[in-house]
Amino acid sequence: MRVFRMQDGADTAPYWLPRPCFHCDDPPCARVCPVGATFKRDDGIVLIDNERCIGCRFCMAACPYSVRTFNWSTPNDPAAATVRGYSPEWGYPRRVGTTEKCDFCPDMAREGKLPHCSSACPMGAIWFGDENEDAVTNSHGETLRLSKLLRDRAAYRQLEELGTKPRVYYLPPDNRHYPGPGEAATTPGNQTSAVVQR
Amino acid sequence: MSATTLSVPVYASELAARPGVMDVEHDMLATLRPMGRAGRLWIASLLAICVMAFVAWLYQIANGLRVTDMRNYVSWGAYMTNFVFFIGISHAGTLISAILRVTDAGWRRPITRMAEAITVIALLVGASMVVIDMGRPDRVLNLIFHGRFQSPILWDLVSITTYITGSVLYLYVAMIPDMPILAQAARAAGRSPRLVRLYEALSLGFRETPEHRRRLARALGAMAVIIIPVAVSVHTVVSWIFGMTIRPGWHSTIFGPYFVIGAIFSGTAAIITAMALFRRAYHLERYLRAEHFHKLAKILLTLSLLYAYFTLSEYLTAWYGGVAADSRLLHLLAGNTSFGMAFWLWAAFGLFVPIALLLFPTRRSLASIVAASVLINIGMWVKRYLIIVPTLQTTYLPASAAGVTPHYLPSVVELTITAGAFAAFLLLFTLFSRFFPILSIWETAEDEAEVGVRKSSPVQAHYGRALAALAVTLMAGALTSFVPVRAARAQPPVHAGASAPVGSTNLRIAIRRSNEQGQDMLVGTITAQGRPVAGVTVAFSVNRAFGNMTLGTDQTLSDGSAAIPFPQGLPGNAAGQLRIHATIQAPAEVAGLSVEAMIPGGAPLHAVTGLEPRALWSTRTPLALVVTIGGLLLCVWSTFAFVAGQLVAMSHIQPEE
Repeated sequence: MRVFRMQDGADTAPYWLPRPCFHCDDPPCARVCPVGATFKRDDGIVLIDNERCIGCRFCMAACPYSVRTFNWSTPNDPAAATVRGYSPEWGYPRRVGTTEKCDFCPDMAREGKLPHCSSACPMGAIWFGDENEDAVTNSHGETLRLSKLLRDRAAYRQLEELGTKPRVYYLPPDNRHYPGPGEAATTPGNQTSAVVQR
Repeated sequence: MSATTLSVPVYASELAARPGVMDVEHDMLATLRPMGRAGRLWIASLLAICVMAFVAWLYQIANGLRVTDMRNYVSWGAYMTNFVFFIGISHAGTLISAILRVTDAGWRRPITRMAEAITVIALLVGASMVVIDMGRPDRVLNLIFHGRFQSPILWDLVSITTYITGSVLYLYVAMIPDMPILAQAARAAGRSPRLVRLYEALSLGFRETPEHRRRLARALGAMAVIIIPVAVSVHTVVSWIFGMTIRPGWHSTIFGPYFVIGAIFSGTAAIITAMALFRRAYHLERYLRAEHFHKLAKILLTLSLLYAYFTLSEYLTAWYGGVAADSRLLHLLAGNTSFGMAFWLWAAFGLFVPIALLLFPTRRSLASIVAASVLINIGMWVKRYLIIVPTLQTTYLPASAAGVTPHYLPSVVELTITAGAFAAFLLLFTLFSRFFPILSIWETAEDEAEVGVRKSSPVQAHYGRALAALAVTLMAGALTSFVPVRAARAQPPVHAGASAPVGSTNLRIAIRRSNEQGQDMLVGTITAQGRPVAGVTVAFSVNRAFGNMTLGTDQTLSDGSAAIPFPQGLPGNAAGQLRIHATIQAPAEVAGLSVEAMIPGGAPLHAVTGLEPRALWSTRTPLALVVTIGGLLLCVWSTFAFVAGQLVAMSHIQPEE
């Protein structure tokens, strides 16, 4: 996951923007895929089948968030990652000439575990959950009611105007609880809640 | 004349009866005579470049696309530029040949063959560029096995395949009357009997009879009409590869017509360039006269003004509107950047200089027309590059904010393959001209009056019906819309309760939902051997996929009950039950004791299946799209079938004894 150091206007406060895949409800990438290698599941997750991908990179051109990456050369997979065979749910073994992206770790969710980005965040800034349960959880083990969190903290989504219906919400900095970029020791400061519908 | 079959003397006598044909034939077959040293060197060097490009492609397959300079931000580059460029060039055939044939412009005759050949060859080269650009060319058949018609790539696949088929058919139909002449000439020149037999087979037994003429006119008339909408569709859907994305600079409503005009523009320039080359190489000055260059120059001027108009329209609206993303793109494209330099060089030398060269009829010369054409050809490659790369560098979430500076400049491998594409184009064109006359013998020898009769054949009425069917299918497609459906979730709450003993202690915690003084409450009652326990702090939480969500905390009263408001509208399982935990927090000696119970009252969770199954992102194609594409294809391919039927009928005409 790339973290952007954003500053929307010359006089506005800078902020960090961690960017996962937004698993849009109207995903431009899945629209344009000529072979159905990238697809949206009923649980809302957008995945890539790298055994079908032809490497045309149309999805990369179509994604307005520039989330997708491409295996330009043969990937160097850790041996442990490849032992269980391939599934779009974990994407290993990766294949040269195919597209990949953040997948919300659906294999972890099956085990009831948070995705790596969320569980690894020391600030507990990245929340993840099942929208059907109306709850999100962070790495500190806190679980909050999603609808209330989004309402109380005035959550917004990236590039809402493009009509992609992203499934990731951002919580604006709340009295700058954390230092912004360049203000102190840098840690992603605004809270992010990644939400997946199952 | 070494006549060995019956048909040849008959044909020869017909030839002799038409004045001037022998002369024309002699000149037209010039390209087929053995090559000189320069010619052999030309072919050898083109072949060498093609081999180098092929090796470069093998290297790219072995090492992945890392050998290109394309990366995650700029993920398309020179190959896509080549693709758009060659598909654009292919429009030469449509304009010159089909439009001029349909409008019955007599001067087209020496040009049509060349134009039609350019179409076929440019299409083959252009289509191969897509495969070279693919990360997994080994999986190209997935486009057929798993093709999704919602993707513009499938539209491209279908329309380009149709265009290739149509333009091969068109090229061939217009070549049939030349085949007997070729067979005869090849036999006379002592070429291999196999080649002679090939020409004879391709001639379909064509002779100068009214019946043959009628069939040929029908086939040619139908092809000339149908190939125009097919060609327009091809470059429209090529533009839609870009236009259907929501990126600045691509998501533009004029992209279809902009690309079509650009294609005809570069195609016309290409044919003038090709005419100049062939005229010089084979001394065809008698047929490719100044008149032809001047007439094409007028068309080219019109198209260059149109292209300038479209370009202005495209970028001026984006600049004036000043949307942030558009402004960033325009700064990159036309500002003080390397793209900006290329853009203004293109505007100067790819557009304004050619316009100046073509503008004044009195100043137009062959040299200036050809110079304008060459400049336009180079310029249009650059323009396509400038359409593709700067937009890919202009992202909504600025790459610079992530510490990335997107950049792209074609690598050696990409440049080699690009050179190979141009070499392959020239090589195929040269080879074509070695086996088939590059000017249409029969059309060049034909007098004007004959053509007039041919044009009023019933073929166009047939096409009129096809057009009507096409319009109906289009309208049907437009009328169909998609209605997204979402499952409702609300369900009336149910009051109930549950209790459980706690571990090894003799405490019991009972959890229930109850209505107390009109308030919906979640109540936990703590008892020890049946007696209520007061002063215990109980935390209630509900189980969620990744953790327990705290609902509230309360202290037990004298009746042993702790109560919090029941969480309203919280989704439960499919039966509407919530897995509620009651955990004791104080006093310390029993803290951490916890029970869980399934309490009804949650909103039941419905399994959501078949979410918007006909949406554009769905794996299933919307019916309207299938009907539209199918209808269009049916119109075009049935015309192809009609043409093929005419050819079959022609080959079955009995010789009149």
